[in-house]
Parts: sequence; structure tokens; C-alpha cells
Amino acid sequence: MFIDLHTHSVSSDDSRATVEQYVKWVGVLRRKGYRMDGFVLTEHRKFDFDKDYSALAAQNDVLVLKGSELDTNCGHFLVYGVTEALASRIDFGNVQMDAAELVQIAEECGAIAVPAHPGRFGIGFCEYVGEVEGFDGVQVVERLNGSNRPGEQERADALIDQRGYLGTGGSDAHVVSAIGSCMTQFDGGVRGEADLVELLRAGAFRAVRLEEAAEA
Amino acid sequence: MTTDEGINYDRSYLDKEFPIGTFEISREMILEFSQASGEVNPIYVDEGLAAESEYGDIIAPPTFCNLFVNGGEKPDIKLEFGDIGFFAGQAIESLAPIRPGDTVEVTSRLKEVYAKTGRSGKMVFAVWETRFDNQDGETVALVDESYVRRNSRRAGS
Repeated sequence: MFIDLHTHSVSSDDSRATVEQYVKWVGVLRRKGYRMDGFVLTEHRKFDFDKDYSALAAQNDVLVLKGSELDTNCGHFLVYGVTEALASRIDFGNVQMDAAELVQIAEECGAIAVPAHPGRFGIGFCEYVGEVEGFDGVQVVERLNGSNRPGEQERADALIDQRGYLGTGGSDAHVVSAIGSCMTQFDGGVRGEADLVELLRAGAFRAVRLEEAAEA
Repeated sequence: MTTDEGINYDRSYLDKEFPIGTFEISREMILEFSQASGEVNPIYVDEGLAAESEYGDIIAPPTFCNLFVNGGEKPDIKLEFGDIGFFAGQAIESLAPIRPGDTVEVTSRLKEVYAKTGRSGKMVFAVWETRFDNQDGETVALVDESYVRRNSRRAGS
């Protein structure tokens, strides 16, 4: 399965793309010959418990999952498998939350916290790993990010290769046409957030660019 | 789940409504604004074609609201962060048509203050929501404006 693990809808303060528009664009990519099975909404500093996209997803045969992108004292982290239990232990709006603690709490709550765009200047995991302790639990890092600027992808690749992390892919889309530019290919099937966390923990995936998802 | 914890500003402004004014909307105002801003949709600029539309007359384009939003002075919320500030964007939500002859009451409130981090470090956003109610008490438009403050130099740089 090919899933974009990093997208933002209008629910984030800096995106103007609706979930409906993203779903339609997945249809456009499929008609162009690309394989794309779904995407994860990783809204900034929040998790939309009240939003249900299951009908939209079923109607269009597109998997629409929910996660979150949180600001921490060590850069941004994507969190998959968010539950009420996790949300009760973390202040999602705290931009200086302790990243190591987030990783630990996510683990305890059946979720997984993944450093986003690690090569990003200023707020990438590159800036902090090795300087800050407590990241032994981090095994998965976002390798491909569709919003990287020149030099940032190289920094991410170097970090991941040096430390032996597993790498995901996500577009970091804030506009409709950006979705799917980077994705994660899973060996197994993903039906929901729990499956996603399980496969991420199992390491059964690889980061891909859209071109690699072209149907034969 | 946004939070303003740790941000110093005058919280008494949160959700407090400030009147911007009450305005009569004339046909000429709508036509002049639409023509000046390059609108080509007949419902904004062509009285004849607009009369045959579902609206039965011309209506104001969404950006028409800016005539009144931009004229309103925002109170100083005494935000203690950063040494530079700038306008960070606007979102206009049209809820019902604004028509010639309408009277709209415009009020503004501080909707939220929150922090985020980006390549340039920490930023603090103040979001003002301006509401347009017509003579029937119907809210016809909401305009969100974001203003950001940040430090001109990142810590450590």
C-alpha cells in the first residue's frame, strides 16, 4: 500500500486544502497512473477527535487516517495512533513540550512519535539528536518530506543512514496538488491507525517518491 | 487544542467584541469595488445578468468585506514577544449574500493567541475575527486575520 503519512488540511492554521479536495486529487493521481491508497491527516498541534471521514473515504475508496504533528523542544514530531489516553497526557498546543517524553508517552499509549522533516534547518531532529538524551526509543524518522528545501533532504538522509533509522515518506502537503509527492510503501495492509502503528513498529515499509508509485 | 500558556498578553481582550461600525451597503459601493478589484463574475458586476441569477440582483464579492475590516483599528493586546510583527494572512468565510440596501453591523474580537515553531524559530500568532451581521441579525461573513510576532534573529544564531 502507498500512503502519504504527512498532510495538512484546513484544520491546520496554515493550510487551505480541504479533505474532500485531497480525496479528489488522489483520484487525479490514480487516473494519471500512480498508485496511491490513502493519506494521514497530521494537523498541527491538534488531533481532530470529532472529525469522521469514513463515509468520504469509503465513497472514494481512499484510506483517510488521522494523526498529528506536534511542536516540541526538539523539532516537530508526527504522532500516529493518537488516542484519548494519549491526549490526556500531552498538551498538544505546548510548542516546547519535551520530545523525549512525547516519544515515551506515545509508546506507552500504543502510538508512535516520528521526528518530522529531520533535516529541516532550525527545527529538524538533526539539530538535536546527539545533543539531547532520551531518544533511544526513536527508531523511525521521516526520510522523505515533500516540503524540504535545498540541503534538507541530504541532512535527513545522512542522519538516517548514520544512525540506522527506518525512514517514512510524506508530502507535508498544505495545498491540494502537493499530496502524494512523497509516500510510504507498506508491505502489509493498513485499515486503520492501529495497523499503521503496528507496521511502523515492525519496520515493514519504505519511503518512496510519487514516481516510484507509477503503476507498471 | 491550541493553548496560549506561557504567552504574555492582556487576556482580557480574548473574545471581547469591539464595534467597528454599522454600514449601509449601496449598489454603487458593490459595483465600484467589484470593478476596481477586477471581478468579472456577472453576479458582482452585471446588474442585468445578476437579475437572472439565483440571487436576483448583484451581490458583494467576499473580498468586499475588506472595505470595513481594514478600516478598523485593532486594540493593543500588549503581546510581549518578538521584535518584529507582520500580517500573516486572511481567510474570508461567506455565509450569506451581502446585497444592495443591506445594513451590516461589523464587530471584531480577539479569537485566539497561540505559538508555533518554524524554520525561523518560535512565532506567536494573534487571530482576530471580524463578524458581519445584516439587518435581519443574520451573520453573512466572517473574516479571520492573523498577525504574527517573532524575533528577527534566532536564538543562538
